[in-house]
Amino acid sequence: MKTTIIAIIFILTAEVTMAQQELLSFDEHNKYIYYQIVELPGLNADTLETRGLNFLKTQFPRVKLKQETSLKSVKGEGKFLTYGGISVLKHENGEMSYLVSVEFKDQKYRFWLTDFVFTPYERDRYGNFVPKAGIEIPLESASSRLEKKELDSYLNETGTFCKQFGEKLKIYELNLPKQEESTKKVVTDKW
Amino acid sequence: MKKVILLLCLFAATVITFKANAANMPADTGKAAAAPAAPAPPPSTDVPLTFSGSVDTYYKYDFSGHANIPTSFGNENNSVSIGMFDLGAKKTVGNASFVGELSFGPRSDQSIPTAGYHIQNLYVSLNLSSKFNLTMGYMSTFIGYEVISPASNFNYSTSYLFTNGPFQNAGLKGTYTFSDKVSLMAGIFNDKWNVYTSSAYVNTFGAQLTITPVKNWTAYLNVASGYTSGTEFDLTTTYQITDAFKLGLNAADFTAGAHYTGGFSGVALYPQLAVSKAVTLGIRAEYFMDKSGTYGAYPTTGPFGNVFGPGPGESVTGLTFTANIKAGPLTLIPEIRFDSSSKSDYFTDNNMAATSSATQFLFAAVYAF
Repeated sequence: MKTTIIAIIFILTAEVTMAQQELLSFDEHNKYIYYQIVELPGLNADTLETRGLNFLKTQFPRVKLKQETSLKSVKGEGKFLTYGGISVLKHENGEMSYLVSVEFKDQKYRFWLTDFVFTPYERDRYGNFVPKAGIEIPLESASSRLEKKELDSYLNETGTFCKQFGEKLKIYELNLPKQEESTKKVVTDKW
Repeated sequence: MKKVILLLCLFAATVITFKANAANMPADTGKAAAAPAAPAPPPSTDVPLTFSGSVDTYYKYDFSGHANIPTSFGNENNSVSIGMFDLGAKKTVGNASFVGELSFGPRSDQSIPTAGYHIQNLYVSLNLSSKFNLTMGYMSTFIGYEVISPASNFNYSTSYLFTNGPFQNAGLKGTYTFSDKVSLMAGIFNDKWNVYTSSAYVNTFGAQLTITPVKNWTAYLNVASGYTSGTEFDLTTTYQITDAFKLGLNAADFTAGAHYTGGFSGVALYPQLAVSKAVTLGIRAEYFMDKSGTYGAYPTTGPFGNVFGPGPGESVTGLTFTANIKAGPLTLIPEIRFDSSSKSDYFTDNNMAATSSATQFLFAAVYAF
């Protein structure tokens, strides 16, 4: 009985662990890619482009953007932190650089993130975690330089980052009005 | 009861699996998307309190049968001994952050001013702009290649340059980043190294020019100069030449401060080659000289003056072969070290007679978290 329970938990845990990294696919150049086409009826390309740029500039201010106005597209280079450890011992253990591209057309846009390159962090003499100089590991060839457990973890974090990127971008493209926070006021002259 | 447990497990696992797979579903097309209530807030720069550190233990055997090489840490001979438990905490809110790093154990006691105080780093830091940072407190020194934390060193034993240079400096420093390739730190520090409080003055000037001439090559030009503490010029550089091969270099010259003459100088080379994803081999080749003068002169009692190494006017070379074998957060470090001095004045052989060489084997295990 105990064995059965352990086996079930193990199988399901393994499935959970795999979930996020499966968001990534391979493109025609055998590079990991997160690719989405999003349809938004009623919105023209100009509007989508303006909102998309606003999203990138406000949410990812450190991403270096290159805009192709004639093509209604924007490309950028960015990076995000990866984390290791558990619970209170969780801290940054590396950074993942990526290329992001977004293209706009009437009633739809598409975006993709690719060229993921991992740089591990090390703790410096001052107690800060900093990039290990000179170590750049493309995700596609990482299996030869990282342990499988490590690589799975980074793939999962990359999948999660991409998914959240897409969700946030859509929120900005929809340009939903910000709800006014109701302030509770107390009237003291009547009681 | 077993059925209830099984059902609960299945239910919990199903919920967890659904949550995970929900994240795996195709991104929304907008046709059936549930409208979020508000735009996402701008990214926050606040980082939760994080902890990190290390634990280390070692076995050393000196072929003379007793401890012989006087560099820092890993001193006990023919003994399974402990290094230290090191625990650092860091918190950043907006542009302000702090680091507190505590350590416990023999390695800690040898690396801090007062055994029992346990502080390796304790400072606060403020980014006044994206290019300028101010930091104040008690910090690991900016000088040298090697550090106190065993998790940040490749070799477990330490060099003569490290042992005789500063470990920590307390003070106030500002760092300006000119570009990705150049930054400059300048600061004013307490009149003595490795102490929590100054003896009387805060008058040691320190500076570090950081240059990245080409990608993957960084050089640090350091100076610390004060009337009491003396003046040390230091070059520390690392170059990751290929994915597998890294070369490090440390060269320093120290002139003693008030009341002393002499000092020390030396150079150490650190080639390292990753032979697999788990194993890296490295060598430390060091030449160290105790300058003629009173600074390194042997006292009437005790083995060493202010220089841990050869006597004034003498030199020593050290050759250390080290492997780092990684197993997740654990690093195993087998190491063999050959030291040879220009004069038979501080190594001793099996019969405790003066000799000019010493050899030791060391095996350490360092767990970093």
